[in-house]
Amino acid sequence: MQNAKDTFYEVMKSRLAALDPDRTIVVRGATRPAILVEANELALEDPLPDCFRLRWLGVTVDAQSALPLVTQRCEIAYETAGTAINSGMDRGRILSALDADLAQIVNAAPQSAVKTNYAGLAFGQPAVAMKTNVWWSDVAFGAVTQSGATLARTATVDVMSYQEAGEL
Amino acid sequence: MSETMDVVSPAIRRVRAYFAPVNRATGAPTIFDPAQSGAFSLDAPPAPWIDLGWIKNFKRTSGTKIDAVRTGAPSVTQKQARTDIDATLEFAFESWSKLQLSLACGTQQMNLLKTANGVTSAGSGGTAIAATPLLTGSTASVLQVGTDAAAAFSVGELVAVDVDYASTTGFVGSGVSGAYVKAALTDVDYIRRITLNVARIAAIHSGTLTLEAPLLAGAPTSAMKVSAMTGFCDREGSTFFQEWSALFVGEGQQGERVIWHYPRLQSLAGVAEAVAASSGGYEALRLAGAYRALPVKDAVDGETVVCFRSYVAA
Repeated sequence: MQNAKDTFYEVMKSRLAALDPDRTIVVRGATRPAILVEANELALEDPLPDCFRLRWLGVTVDAQSALPLVTQRCEIAYETAGTAINSGMDRGRILSALDADLAQIVNAAPQSAVKTNYAGLAFGQPAVAMKTNVWWSDVAFGAVTQSGATLARTATVDVMSYQEAGEL
Repeated sequence: MSETMDVVSPAIRRVRAYFAPVNRATGAPTIFDPAQSGAFSLDAPPAPWIDLGWIKNFKRTSGTKIDAVRTGAPSVTQKQARTDIDATLEFAFESWSKLQLSLACGTQQMNLLKTANGVTSAGSGGTAIAATPLLTGSTASVLQVGTDAAAAFSVGELVAVDVDYASTTGFVGSGVSGAYVKAALTDVDYIRRITLNVARIAAIHSGTLTLEAPLLAGAPTSAMKVSAMTGFCDREGSTFFQEWSALFVGEGQQGERVIWHYPRLQSLAGVAEAVAASSGGYEALRLAGAYRALPVKDAVDGETVVCFRSYVAA
């Protein structure tokens, strides 16, 4: 299951970098595409603005399939207060730009990728392509919420994969 | 991808359709070879296949009947035999264009050629404005008409490109037969009315009409002319059966493919649309069609078949 989550995140990160190279964040001193997995980062009191924050929710496993079919729901939260140079009066436009970026990186064909095991990276080993693919649904957008001068939205994507023999 | 994937059912999101012509005069369909071309890019099908886009509600039905051969008393089934070979399918196109309209209506589909003011009204379009001859140097994507003639066209306009009708009978239309003329007619524009050799003008410059997409029949001959159009029209009750070679591709999420190839398809229903709910209380009109598969001989062993289903592994 972790390999599917990692693969989906890596695909989204590379697509965002190609689509909108200026949409970046600085995390622990490193500049990178503005997308992260909350569970992989230090816990923060306030969420990072202008950034896609992935969190994994429910999991179902269809054991009746020829291989166990795993469906994991990914929630993608993001928010913006606009830019300081425009005194935040562009927050609606920026949220629309975030919506458009997310729709493109998730819905672009193909909505699948070779499942990859990244566990070795921590030990200086290369990522390893696995035998099956990960694939995912279209993105479903939730309603906009407003808190003070901040506009926020949460979207969801279902990510499917087959659980391979011996896979964690 | 590996032997692992041979055990899972293909999970497909939707089905893509492709068209190729059947030579009606000779009865020769276009045969797709999945062994050679099964892994083609969905956005760039091998010639002469033309992309029809995504389709909805793809449903195949086998009408083949298998009867028992019984002998003895009491009779016991000893063997089985296929007594009727038949297959039908239905689906709805996601997009509208000349080709989709023609295939969905299943009969001849008329181009609404532009008329002069005041001509006698006709249900499928009145007498057309005189067509413009093509000059040398025209290609499938660029029509040379000369500066004066080009002024009569506009960017975004649809055009039909084909020869004058000259009292011939039989199948007519360049590239794809668009109609069958049973008795000689008098309309010199008739072939341009029914041709599938149509395109939209993308740019006009120095007597040149640049088209958004190449003409289906390829580079036009010197005998062809171009007529401006306002749209398309089909007629319930029209007698012609459009016939085409069809290819449908469902792509699984592990990189595998299921390919359905019907070398000869003819419509088995009249003209109708499928209505689907759309956002905001609107209804989307989809071009729906139902088709019957006609037989071909498989060159491999001479079997008479109506459809090929191929599984192309990742």
